[in-house]
Amino acid sequence: MAATDVRTPRRVMGLYDKPMWESIDAREMKLQRCTGCGTFQYPPGPGCHACLSMELEWIPVSGRATILSWVVFHRQYLPAYPAPYNSIAVRLEEGPIMISNLEGETPSGTWIGERVKLVYVTMPDGVILPRFELDR
Amino acid sequence: MTSGLVTSGLATRQAGAGRHPNPRIRRAAAVVGVGHSDWVGDWARTRAGEKPTDACGYGMQAFNAALKDSGIDRSIIDGLIVGPTTAYERMGELLGINPRWGDQSDAVMSVLQAVMAIESGFADVVALVYGNDQRSVGTQYGGPDAMGGNAFLSYVYHAPWGLTSQGALYALTLQAYKHAHGFTERDLGEVAVAQRGWSSLNPNAIMRERITVDDYMASRYVCEPLHLFDYCLINDGGVALIIAEADIARRISSKPVYIEAAGRSDLNHGATSLEPRLTDFYLPAQQAVAQQVFDMAGMGPKDMDVFQVYDSFSVHVPLALEGYGYCAVGDAGKFLRESGVGPGGKLPTNTGGGHLSETYMQGWAHQIECVRQLRGECGDRQVADCRNVHYSSDVAGKAVSIIYSR
Repeated sequence: MAATDVRTPRRVMGLYDKPMWESIDAREMKLQRCTGCGTFQYPPGPGCHACLSMELEWIPVSGRATILSWVVFHRQYLPAYPAPYNSIAVRLEEGPIMISNLEGETPSGTWIGERVKLVYVTMPDGVILPRFELDR
Repeated sequence: MTSGLVTSGLATRQAGAGRHPNPRIRRAAAVVGVGHSDWVGDWARTRAGEKPTDACGYGMQAFNAALKDSGIDRSIIDGLIVGPTTAYERMGELLGINPRWGDQSDAVMSVLQAVMAIESGFADVVALVYGNDQRSVGTQYGGPDAMGGNAFLSYVYHAPWGLTSQGALYALTLQAYKHAHGFTERDLGEVAVAQRGWSSLNPNAIMRERITVDDYMASRYVCEPLHLFDYCLINDGGVALIIAEADIARRISSKPVYIEAAGRSDLNHGATSLEPRLTDFYLPAQQAVAQQVFDMAGMGPKDMDVFQVYDSFSVHVPLALEGYGYCAVGDAGKFLRESGVGPGGKLPTNTGGGHLSETYMQGWAHQIECVRQLRGECGDRQVADCRNVHYSSDVAGKAVSIIYSR
């Protein structure tokens, strides 16, 4: 099987996910921000969980984040992710937590607390994913 | 011990008063019958490629055993709750029960809902029936079509980044928890070792060979930092309980086991992005439900003879020890090493061997282990003079607890 035949696991595409993924495809990831209280939220949704306002706008994120947790899969569950591979949870500077992967160099010892920055990675099947690399 | 815990915030609550605002369900109902299928025999048969029966068949086997155990006639059952793995109507059809009240729910909520239905007068005698053929049908709890993925949005939402299994979510929790509290992999290994210690004494357990912490450390990672021994089994089987209104229970049973207290508290804020499990380790929900159940029972952790924890992954156990006040927050590693949760330990925990070693019945087998310990029917693994047993689950931030008492 050629690498290009391996599909990236599909995105959950609810009504409010589409603008986010369009912004990722444009390499300028945006998240919803409440025009009332200013809270950023992820995943996107119909209204603000903090104040229940339904007036939200799409704002580019800074791409700065900190690693909250990390794991390394030693078993393969998905054709696009041969083991070993990592997944990380990051706290975006704007507040929300996001799951992603750490690209490139990995820290020695724990990864928790490491500062990372957003990068856009093109998967073999052409899908663009927001990932992170160490910000040093 | 209740003062100082997180409160529900209700204005009518008196902090530390030790009294639940609505204690009506306390001892309103009791378990009068328990039963299960042949987990050990069916494990061997399914591993050999056989298909002993289907999910409904396992449920029927368990129901027949529970009915026999209770000594009642099927005709007095007027409530039916069926587990989430089988169709409610089909199971009711097979069991020949036309109840005046029915529902479909998971293990711990089924017990709560049976008690609520009984206390509300909707039913007097409720059968709870669960069957699952997850091993023989090859149910996947990880991967693109992971069971429960849509129910818990969190582990399909992160699929583009390769994070799709329940185990991976708990591995993320463990990694953050280790970092926050100096907890180690060897500390976590104490859980798997303790539960295998219990299962070695349990003829109903599938995995009975004792292991050491060194065995644990030498086992392969599935999703690092979780080892193979941190994961639940996947096996076929069934479990059933019969719960009756308290006065009826006393008439029909010589050893009713009462539902002494029950409570629930959920953390939904940030659920999809995993915030409650990564930053609070679900402790606020567990602390809130601990206050509810211990207040309702008029007891505290020190009064519990056995602790049962829903353990799809071993990491549930240290979090529950801290969340329910069996040790201080941050001290679970020390508690596991020094007090112990295995045979001979200070707090017997998951005395059947739990999901890791006995059988993975999604919390249902834990309920009948609670009952059997209180009846004194556990043979080599019996905890002496067992009077109160605490069950807890914290699946995806929904913390639910039951205290069973004689």
